[in-house]
Amino acid sequence: MLSAAGLEHAYGKRPVLSIDALELEAGTATALVGPNGSGKSTLLRLLAFLERPVAGSLLLGGTLVGTAAQRRDARRRVTLVEQQPYLFRGTVQRNLLYALSLHGLRGPEAMQRAANALDRLQVTDLGEREAADLSVGEIQRVAVARAVALEPDVLLLDEPTGVADRAAVSRLYQTLEEERVRGAAVCFASHQLEDAYRWSDTLIALADGHASPVTPENLFRTVLPEGDGPKSASVGPLEILVVTDKSGTATIAIPPDEILVSLEPLQSSARNEFRGRVTRVGDDGRGGVTLLVDAGVDLAVHITRGALEQLGLHIGTQVVLSFKAMAVRVF
Amino acid sequence: MEFFADGLKRGFELILGGDAEVLDITILSLRVAGISTILACCIGVPVGFMVGTTRFWGRRAAITVLNTMLAFPTVVVGVLIWGLFARQGPLGGIGILYTWWAIVIAEVVLAAPIAAALTAAAVQGIDPRVRRTALTLGAGPLRAHLAVARAAKFALFAAVVVAFGRVLAEVGAAMIVGGNINHYTRTLTTAVALASSQGDFALAVALGLVLLALALTVNVLLQLFQGRGDA
Repeated sequence: MLSAAGLEHAYGKRPVLSIDALELEAGTATALVGPNGSGKSTLLRLLAFLERPVAGSLLLGGTLVGTAAQRRDARRRVTLVEQQPYLFRGTVQRNLLYALSLHGLRGPEAMQRAANALDRLQVTDLGEREAADLSVGEIQRVAVARAVALEPDVLLLDEPTGVADRAAVSRLYQTLEEERVRGAAVCFASHQLEDAYRWSDTLIALADGHASPVTPENLFRTVLPEGDGPKSASVGPLEILVVTDKSGTATIAIPPDEILVSLEPLQSSARNEFRGRVTRVGDDGRGGVTLLVDAGVDLAVHITRGALEQLGLHIGTQVVLSFKAMAVRVF
Repeated sequence: MEFFADGLKRGFELILGGDAEVLDITILSLRVAGISTILACCIGVPVGFMVGTTRFWGRRAAITVLNTMLAFPTVVVGVLIWGLFARQGPLGGIGILYTWWAIVIAEVVLAAPIAAALTAAAVQGIDPRVRRTALTLGAGPLRAHLAVARAAKFALFAAVVVAFGRVLAEVGAAMIVGGNINHYTRTLTTAVALASSQGDFALAVALGLVLLALALTVNVLLQLFQGRGDA
């Protein structure tokens, strides 16, 4: 439905995004994950045709979108819900009717569409409320309802669940799933990896404006010393041993599957060993468990449910994390 | 003190008695100010919108020029317009010097930069998400601009009011290009200048009070408009 090739973007002379290829197919959901400043919002604004890339091409439905007129037409088929969405002055219902009027929908049909969208996000009771009186979470849900009401071919959302409670999050992702089933290409940015794994068909991890070659967890920026072979990378209070010939500013990734969890230090070849405390236990979206361990910085670890039960892990358990220097990816 | 009090008293009598000369001058002033403000805003508001919302080479220079034009001396504008439309000037053939249309042209030159500069400042202060949201919901560039204008409506209305105030209170250019001809190009401000130079303090006060009343009316309307918007 929407594809990008050789996408480059910069603010002034500062490059902020470089994506070789990206494909958002109709009837699929894609999750964008990555730390703050990794380029998720910029990528979404480019995909929404709100900013023009400095290089590269965007195709919508197989047709190149380049001219101002083509971009204007494309925006009628692609809708973005920003991280901090804006609602126009007036009631919630007026906001939805305004959006629908931009697509030539007025009267009973528009009223019906607006009511359906509000109902799907379970915010029908907000219909007559002034937008200025809504909480941040309510604004977010109404903005998603406004976008969904347009039935776009491509639905883009930037951290749509940032401030929502779990019930609202679940309802929101179910709505996105319905949009995917309707045939829309859905793409959302999320900080919550569990949600990203659970609700997307494809997961794209971004780091420093590039698609990360490894899983999105445990990505850190660091500065590596000169020289080849094993070297120490400072990440918060941790000194992580890595094997690389890179030096200077770099991103390191510690794959969660490569980290061993134990209750006591292990006699092993792992050169990195840190003590920490379990702060979160959650579904990893693949049938296993993701632990979040505070070891000075938060490290995500994937283990099986059997291992969780065998070690008797729960929030607050003191654990030891071990991983080999060779397991740390540097890029 | 007695002279001052008598002048004020007679001034009120002229207004309340519906003096024909005061009425005539007031109507002409309102006509000139109204038409000038409309034309100045038709030029200035779109220019201000473009400068305030579009990134282009020389934008900062354009803003500097606009801000400088806010302080353009009115007599200089009057002289330039006079030179353009004088019989021996490049546009002398049109023959509008010493008509109220010449005053309108001079006032437009003075008020359009005000409308442009204040509009640019108003739209620059609007949350950039307004335009982005309108665009991503399917608005074309014009409707996206209208969404921004709606968000900035109070500031834009204030820009119109300030432009109107400038035109209504201007005297130098109106005197030079209009000639202050009775029943023809005599506006409230030029009439005040003439009456005071002739020692007719009562007429000058009466016309001055009308000017103040008009300014007050416009500002009350602005307050009402803003109050309704906040409700």
